[in-house]
Amino acid sequence: MTADGMRRRDFLRGSAGLAAGALVGAGCGVGPQSAPKVVAQKAAAPKVDGDLLIFNWTEYMNPKVIKGFAKQYGVKVTTSNFDSMPGMMAKLRSGNRYDLIFPTADYVNRLNRQGQLRQLDRGVLRNSAGIYPFFDDPWYDKDSAHTVPYGMYTTGIAWRADKVGELRGSWNDLALEAARGRTFMLDDFQEAIGQANLLNGFDLNTTDPAELERTKATLELQKEFLRGYSTNPAPNLVGGTAWVHHAWNGDVVNARNQSKEPENLKFQTCREGIPVGSDCMAIPANARHPGTATLFIDWILDPENAAENVSWFGYPMPIKGTEDAFAELAADDPQIQITTDDLATGVQFRELPVDDKAAWDRLWTEVKA
Amino acid sequence: MTSAFWQRFLYPGALWLLLFFVVPFGIAVLISLGANNEFGGVTYGRNPSNYADALDPLFAPVLLRSLGYAAATAALCLLLGYPVAYCIARFGGRRRNLLIAAILAPFLINYLVRTYAWVALLSDEGLVNRVIVDSGVAGRPVGFLNTPWAVIGGLVYGYLGFMILPIYASLERMDSALIEAGKDLYGSPRQTFWHVTWPQTLPGVLAGTVLVFLPAVGDFVSAQLLGGPDTYMVGNLIQQQYFGAENWPFGAALTIVLMAFLAVFMLFYLRGASSSARREALV
Repeated sequence: MTADGMRRRDFLRGSAGLAAGALVGAGCGVGPQSAPKVVAQKAAAPKVDGDLLIFNWTEYMNPKVIKGFAKQYGVKVTTSNFDSMPGMMAKLRSGNRYDLIFPTADYVNRLNRQGQLRQLDRGVLRNSAGIYPFFDDPWYDKDSAHTVPYGMYTTGIAWRADKVGELRGSWNDLALEAARGRTFMLDDFQEAIGQANLLNGFDLNTTDPAELERTKATLELQKEFLRGYSTNPAPNLVGGTAWVHHAWNGDVVNARNQSKEPENLKFQTCREGIPVGSDCMAIPANARHPGTATLFIDWILDPENAAENVSWFGYPMPIKGTEDAFAELAADDPQIQITTDDLATGVQFRELPVDDKAAWDRLWTEVKA
Repeated sequence: MTSAFWQRFLYPGALWLLLFFVVPFGIAVLISLGANNEFGGVTYGRNPSNYADALDPLFAPVLLRSLGYAAATAALCLLLGYPVAYCIARFGGRRRNLLIAAILAPFLINYLVRTYAWVALLSDEGLVNRVIVDSGVAGRPVGFLNTPWAVIGGLVYGYLGFMILPIYASLERMDSALIEAGKDLYGSPRQTFWHVTWPQTLPGVLAGTVLVFLPAVGDFVSAQLLGGPDTYMVGNLIQQQYFGAENWPFGAALTIVLMAFLAVFMLFYLRGASSSARREALV
């Protein structure tokens, strides 16, 4: 009995020592990095240097186009998905290595400051001439040295015309009596706070505490009309659970593709302000196969592939030769259209300083708690 | 064989727990004492403010709601699971193992995927509502989704197996002669159950309750996919810190506070379990 007790204590002591050692190790190496690593990374030549690992939103690229690439170049293409930009960042930060990622403009800005993107030389891309000149020197990436634009999107409201008729072109439609208890807000703190800012006549990115206090009141009022917060507008609308849904323009195309009565699904932008944005294809600095990734980017830029992609994923691409494909999608619903003019004049989410972002997060938690 | 020999078999499991539980827990503690930087990373330090934030009264309703949902889930799992375990153990005969396998079969599919399936099935114009409306049971679709009941239902569906298995194990271990003895002593079926079977299976019930309750408190999938505007759970709050707010230190502090809180429940369980083990030893 006594001997047993001794042994148990020894065992525990030994374990504690091991654990302490592991913790010291953890403090140095494991876990999120605290300091940015800036490494100059030369652009890769577009040639196969291995299989391709893509990290993208779900349903954000036509699988047929991907299969075409795999067949043409005899490589295996794997796609892994994230469901938010912070989610993508968390995976990158913890050391996962992807060959191609799809960051939004404000996140490109951040990744660049940390030196996390590899350079991308448009000179080596056969199809780079098709990229709209608007993106030659965008605000988020000097001289487009690391990115190629991918999708352009806008945020508005999608709805079921067979349930609620016509809407009024305002963010107030998220608090519509006829859709009380059947309205969804995007489960995205930027988009949710952003629309309430616009509705109150504030700057989309306001950090003024008094203004944010009013925005919170707006969100709390809208909450009384909500059935939930979600980033899956398509199934909610098609399944009839949502009659009115805060949504991105591509969501309604997606929903129409799934619905037996696509004519009932509509989308509007709102007169108080239209958040717009664009995202990119970029190669992380630690990518294993930057050559294949560069080749793949060129494949996507090919006008025929790009057009096929647009018809499937539902967002306009700033690539010459895709206009007709998107015009076909937008024929019944001109409000899903977004052009580079809209990007120039529309309101865009900017990266907020840490303290201001914390204030937005806090507000969002207070509303949801 | 000496007990020292047998103790060696403890080491692989202990090492496993050390590497995949103690060390990550230590990392979580380290992160919780840090501060988040502009890149969403962590600057390590000795910063207790995350704990002060985690104890903000703002989060009290979220925690209470989570505990309430988890308690309801455990209670429903017990009500649904006990009869199932009982029937299989007592009347399953040769098919016992097959029936247990059938209960485990849904676990072969990821919980997230199964929850998505619920969304499709239970939506206002989904399969279940179409049957309800077409058969005339109700005049219009029932709004199953985005309610506290949907969240609890999702949790019950997700964790029911964890209740059935330990109860089944304790029922199977039980000597059926005890039940016959109870009847021989003129106990009615009800009296026999409450005085013989139930006390014998109490350890299984306790284990099942803990196995369901603990993960249900921290669950975020059910509330995220099946919940409404007022079903935010502590798991959602923590998940939001990691994948929304990019504030790992605060997320880690919330995690540790939750764990400390649940450890208290665990202590009650361990005390209950050890005293019932003592009682059994006396018998």
